[in-house]
Amino acid sequence: MEILNKERRVFVLGGGISKFAAERVDGNMRDWMNEAVLEALEDSGTQIADIEHSTTSYFSDHFDKQLKAGAIFHDNIGMCPKPNVRVEGGGGTGGLAIRNAYAYIKSGLCDSMIVFGGENMGRQVPSDVAQQFIALASDTDWEVQVAGFYIAYYAMMMTAHMDKYGTTEEQFATISVKNHRNALYNPKAHYPMDITVEDVMKSKMLSYPYKLLDNCLLSDGAACIVFATAEWAEKNAKSWGSKPTVELTGTGCGTDFMRMADRPFPDPGIIHFRGKQTGAQQAYKMAGVKNPREDFDCFEVHDAYSGVELVTYEDLGFCKPGEGGKLAEKGVFDLGGDLPTNTSGGLIGFGHPVGATGVGQGVEVLRQLRQEAHPKRQVELNAKRGGMDSHGGTGTFCAINIFERRD
Amino acid sequence: MGLEQINTLMEVFTAEDPMPFEHPEGDPWKDFREVMRIEWKMDFTYKHVLGKYSKFFIELANKKFVTTECPGCGKVWGIPRPLCSDCLTITKWKELPGTGTLIGYSVSHFVPAFMKVEKPYVLSVVKLDGADTLFTHQLRNYGDSTDAIKVGMPVKVAYTDENVDHPLLLMHFEPA
Repeated sequence: MEILNKERRVFVLGGGISKFAAERVDGNMRDWMNEAVLEALEDSGTQIADIEHSTTSYFSDHFDKQLKAGAIFHDNIGMCPKPNVRVEGGGGTGGLAIRNAYAYIKSGLCDSMIVFGGENMGRQVPSDVAQQFIALASDTDWEVQVAGFYIAYYAMMMTAHMDKYGTTEEQFATISVKNHRNALYNPKAHYPMDITVEDVMKSKMLSYPYKLLDNCLLSDGAACIVFATAEWAEKNAKSWGSKPTVELTGTGCGTDFMRMADRPFPDPGIIHFRGKQTGAQQAYKMAGVKNPREDFDCFEVHDAYSGVELVTYEDLGFCKPGEGGKLAEKGVFDLGGDLPTNTSGGLIGFGHPVGATGVGQGVEVLRQLRQEAHPKRQVELNAKRGGMDSHGGTGTFCAINIFERRD
Repeated sequence: MGLEQINTLMEVFTAEDPMPFEHPEGDPWKDFREVMRIEWKMDFTYKHVLGKYSKFFIELANKKFVTTECPGCGKVWGIPRPLCSDCLTITKWKELPGTGTLIGYSVSHFVPAFMKVEKPYVLSVVKLDGADTLFTHQLRNYGDSTDAIKVGMPVKVAYTDENVDHPLLLMHFEPA
């Protein structure tokens, strides 16, 4: 795969987040989408009347009890009769939506696109019903019926990783500590917390080896980004030239079998995310990334569970297979480390309103590259490049996107 | 008359601004903070078809574990597939001995709704002898403690004589 037309480029003009929280009783998904959109329009200095196309990012029809909700979000912000498309890939939905903006703009279908994502995960149903809804995103004939659900699937992947590489529960507990701590400096985060490895280890066992604090959060919330070509931005965006310019320079996507039991055994078996390896290869090639540890200043990774973040380091090439735990313990991925990951707090600290998550990762990377993040979570810019990794299922849909600052 | 006319009404309350740190000038949505919550019940029953892999479930009732072998490339899928997704050849049924090795497991102290299973329960992924890919099911009868469960241990397919709500529950795994 090679991008032949290098003339037409895609820029990230602005972003917005409507607070991630356990339950946003103040409104519903439509209200949060509106808030995220208003912030993104203000941040980008654009008018909705000028934006040509939208992409809707949400995952579940069950949580919101509303099919084709995209039509509502799109009409709420005055986009009718302009075009809209919905993208869906479980937890990877937001990452795929950003990739969609790249494809639509790059192809010339439009010069500008607003991507809005959100989810109503909330506490409208009890947590065991919520887990059942999410389990419906695994194979309902072969996995759900034996009481399969996502915490248990990821726990099985992690026991296999522990057996193969000697990864420890304490090692992945450090991820939870880091991400909750990073969230302390993100006012829109769901679960900021100053905790220790011992706190994680002592939290309630949900599905061995995962404890309560190893898990990400069912959150309400929304996120939005405006993308456009340079020519469109020059004409229509007040932010153009007044704020640092950020470009979407790489996008990759990979997949794997829905049921992890079907994946080629023993490699990747149930241990590694083959879709992330594939997606990262594409995105890195597009953006000219050779050594991810040095070529990125920050990376938002899909920490659905603390151990997933370690495995993701390995599959995105931040380290060799099996080394994720040891490097995390050394603080390589902390703020101030070689490659700070999940500076926003990630899914564990910032929260995981599924359709908003991948889009929110993009807003965080944009804020970092513009040096607009809270001073305590702002990274040092060297490579002037930030990445994001978003996946659905147990690595069924993987999307990797790369933003770069252009001064 | 009034709110009591609404059969499903749960509450009416005033919500707080979730982002006061963004609104030093005051809440822009202050006229929209009165919120109503209602109860909404949905209950369905589906007539679900198990399609081309129904034979797997029919044979489970005969206490046999069958899967599919691809006559094109020879791959044996742990979970049967009518179409081999490696070479797109229509597969053939094949019986397996039902012995295998534990590849990964979890011990759950939480159960999703609608699932009748006693806590804690063990979900496992098993490499069955004679299959190239894996199979996911519960591991039961592992003894008094989950400490005895180890990746790499031999396991086997076991069948139940009890009534079940889904045909896949006619089987489970046990230590061999």
